[in-house]
Amino acid sequence: MTAISDILHLLFTANLWQATLSAAILLLLPALGGVISERSGVVNIAMEGMMLTGAFFGVVAALAWHNPWLATGVAILAGGLMAAVHAVVSIQFRADQIVSGIAINIFAAGLTVFLINRIFGLQDVGHLGPNEGLPYISIGGLDQIPFFGKVLFQQNIVVYVALVLLVLIHVLLFRTRIGLRIRAVGEHPQAADTAGINVFFIRYSAVITSGLLSGLSGAFLAIGVSNTFVPNMTDGRGYIALAAMIFGKWTPFGAFGACLIFGLGEAIYANNSIIHASPYLLSMLPYIITLVVLAGVVGRSSPPAADGIPYVPGSE
Amino acid sequence: MVHKRLGILGLAAVALMIAAACGGSSPGTTAKQIKVGLVTDTGGLNDKSFNHLAYVGLQKAIADLGIKGDVIESKNGDEYVPNLTNFASKGYDLVLGNGFLMQPAIGTVAGQFPNVHFAIVDGAGTDASFKDLKLPNVQDLLFKEQESGALVGAMAGMLEKQGKGPANTHVIGAVGGISIPPVNHYIAGYKWAAAMEDPSIKVLVGYSNDFSDPTKCSSVAKSQIGNKAEFIFQVAGGCGLGALQAAGQAKVYSFGVDADQKDADPSVIASALKKVDVAVYTSIKSVVNGKFQGGETRFSLQNDATGYTLDNFNLPADVKAEVDGLAAKIKAGTLTPPADIPA
Amino acid sequence: MAIAGADPLAAYQGLLCGGLGALCGGCENPALQISNTIVFVTPLITTGIAVALPFRAGLFNIGAEGQLLAGAVTYTVIGIKLGNGPAPVVIPVALIGGMLAGSLWAGIAGVLKALVGAHEVVTTIMLNYVAQWLVRFLIIGGPLQAPNGFSASPPTGPGARLPTLLPHDNSLIIFGLPSSVYRVHTGLFIALAAAALFAFLLWRTSLGYEIRAVGQSQRAARYAGVDVRRTIIVTMLIAGAFSGLAGAIQIAGVDHGLTDKYFSDTTGFDAIAVALLGLGSATGIILASILLGALHAGGAVMQSDAGISANLVLVLQALILFSIAANFVGAIRRLLPFGRKPAALPPDLPPAAGLMSESATPTVQT
Repeated sequence: MTAISDILHLLFTANLWQATLSAAILLLLPALGGVISERSGVVNIAMEGMMLTGAFFGVVAALAWHNPWLATGVAILAGGLMAAVHAVVSIQFRADQIVSGIAINIFAAGLTVFLINRIFGLQDVGHLGPNEGLPYISIGGLDQIPFFGKVLFQQNIVVYVALVLLVLIHVLLFRTRIGLRIRAVGEHPQAADTAGINVFFIRYSAVITSGLLSGLSGAFLAIGVSNTFVPNMTDGRGYIALAAMIFGKWTPFGAFGACLIFGLGEAIYANNSIIHASPYLLSMLPYIITLVVLAGVVGRSSPPAADGIPYVPGSE
Repeated sequence: MVHKRLGILGLAAVALMIAAACGGSSPGTTAKQIKVGLVTDTGGLNDKSFNHLAYVGLQKAIADLGIKGDVIESKNGDEYVPNLTNFASKGYDLVLGNGFLMQPAIGTVAGQFPNVHFAIVDGAGTDASFKDLKLPNVQDLLFKEQESGALVGAMAGMLEKQGKGPANTHVIGAVGGISIPPVNHYIAGYKWAAAMEDPSIKVLVGYSNDFSDPTKCSSVAKSQIGNKAEFIFQVAGGCGLGALQAAGQAKVYSFGVDADQKDADPSVIASALKKVDVAVYTSIKSVVNGKFQGGETRFSLQNDATGYTLDNFNLPADVKAEVDGLAAKIKAGTLTPPADIPA
Repeated sequence: MAIAGADPLAAYQGLLCGGLGALCGGCENPALQISNTIVFVTPLITTGIAVALPFRAGLFNIGAEGQLLAGAVTYTVIGIKLGNGPAPVVIPVALIGGMLAGSLWAGIAGVLKALVGAHEVVTTIMLNYVAQWLVRFLIIGGPLQAPNGFSASPPTGPGARLPTLLPHDNSLIIFGLPSSVYRVHTGLFIALAAAALFAFLLWRTSLGYEIRAVGQSQRAARYAGVDVRRTIIVTMLIAGAFSGLAGAIQIAGVDHGLTDKYFSDTTGFDAIAVALLGLGSATGIILASILLGALHAGGAVMQSDAGISANLVLVLQALILFSIAANFVGAIRRLLPFGRKPAALPPDLPPAAGLMSESATPTVQT
């Protein structure tokens, strides 16, 4: 049972929680994107592909211009562009939104590897220089608070941005007219249309926003944490974000809570050099915990009523 | 019985297609050119690691030896057998499988094509239980990774002993991809040599369980650094780049793996080498010269295929002398680093 | 293809040859290509069913991969323990074992959905990860690892191996190659039988009717006297059995043991595309499996013949999915100003659309 005491011991270290938050943010951004998209009634399981595309183009731009901010912009746009494809196919062409999402994920996986071959030949993708990645920022004063300073105020800049976005999106969705419109479109597009809301415009904006957020997460992954691009480096995070979104009942803070569970699992796992347990069993832990929590506490999660249904103007 | 009849029906259909499609192929109008096919494992050619190096070796052979070289990237493990068979069935002279994951596939296909030469990096042609079939047409290109691991391990141990680590904690770390022999050889040598130079040293060994996601290795490295490790040795391909970067952020030192990873991060003070390109080139050359021999070919310090390279660091002369001395002893056979991670 | 900078014709030729054995150049062997494609197609059929059946009930089973792994693990364990017994006994026992394991894996998601309303997308994704880590645990230093340090289980015994269609013989030459290179195995017939069973189940049984009724509208189904909870659980159990069967057949017919190739297996995810492309019908699923299997097999030949990265196949696959999903031709006609008025057309939804919405209606009355 040393493993359990090892883990308990870990839970009291600031390092663990610092890593947890950082890992959670990587998932939170696409999960927030998913929340917005699905609240407007468009199923989005394409965060994985949008993130991967963002990561790839972010690195390409960073290598070309040596500027992390421009590169992040490119990554965000690339994610948004992929989302725009999803939007056109599923809103305009009324395609099955799951098929479209899967197609985006497959497309991104193939395209990025293919483009690596094209752009870099069969050479290394290359690494960003020491100051060309997104910076880690310690917030002066606050970062000296014991424990919490390290956890909350010694993080990558994207972490702070994401936490601000979390609050903003919550407020936007539940405290503003725009949010009301998004939710109306997701619950009952016909009624919203009748009330004068432009259903297509709202849905396009929401889906594209989800891509922008996923692209930002891709930038964090590639030019914040990694400094390079490796094929398939998103490693299923888009799907975990999808699970976190549903787990969190399509709300920003709920999704954040779920992301923290997965982040904590990842952070505990990362300590496998000092935990006396099979690293593989350790890896299962967050998923099993999620299942248990779903079974016992969270229970039913219901998506917006019109989620997944293409809107046909004039239909009943 | 029904199956057999169906099979025959299918064969008849196929026979027609063959007659139509491949009947008129004319054998070699030009002078005999050696054809080499490389099958990568799932890491793909841009893995910044050994698939990439194998490709470098193939390219060199194309340039120097005038061979024809083709590549297939395996997208997943299901494809090893068909991809190897593809080259073998087209009469390639040498089919190279890259990575020990391909061992049973090489064993199967090499048995079917006894007239084609095969070579596999990090393994042998085996049956399904990974028992070496000792096929005469399979060359096993095996590395003594523990030697390279030992050299960088000795470097870390010496620096710790002399108090030249960033904070001199006497703790170092290794981040492996998956706990498999080629990875563990490196770590075994690293741990062994570090402890030999600095008996008080503590070596943390962790695994990311991944070869492609840098964040995973970054988190494992950060955990080790949080536990006072101040040298991080990455043995996880593309994933391990994250470990190098984590070391850089925390202002501790790191070691690259397989290729010279000097450019990956300023924290990389040396890289443990595994010259897959040399092995691949050597194997191709043996076919071109008609000197191909099946069985084990060891790549080690003996034939300059393992070793280390100094990167972003000004290594004190006495440390370098010690490391080179160790290399000489290993080369001479007076010291042998273990292949399994010592307790 | 033209942008790839290589000869696009050679690329298409390679793709066609590798996928379907047609128009082969460079003395690629068409029989070999067809055989390879069929080996890829076989597990796609049953996993495709495992996704398509729950779709009919309005459930999105994203967990075919985990269920497949559960089946593969179980088949391996039985195949090692009983592998020296007579094949006619061992194979059915082990196949059923694999199906039960798949059922169990999917059943967890089904029960959670039916009893507490936990969304099956989350639970099946979680179960995928648990299965993937379980496989690693078992064969890297765990109880199923062969005693030689490699990440693989010991091989299953001879009694647990499905025969190949052609004799497994290195010296018998068929179509210019040793007959053992043709890996097509009898699991193909099991998969085809499974597809027939799926069609029968869906259209000819009362359970099939209930599944479709639940998929159309849970409320209406409930009024019609269908036990929605029971139907959800049973649907997932059956779906899991199909996935588990796929994993079991892979071990029985191709791999004869659990190896690290299952770390990178994507069959269960490709199955989602198969189910959606196949529009949920048995014939459609078989055709879609052939399409995806052919692309999968064709990519490698394209790379070896035309020097284009096999990953381009993924791009093609995505484009095919897009164009089928979006019904581009029909949609463009709809958009034209001189076309019929949009409102006059019924919304032509593929059967899986509205899938997420179905779970929006209160799942179960508690």
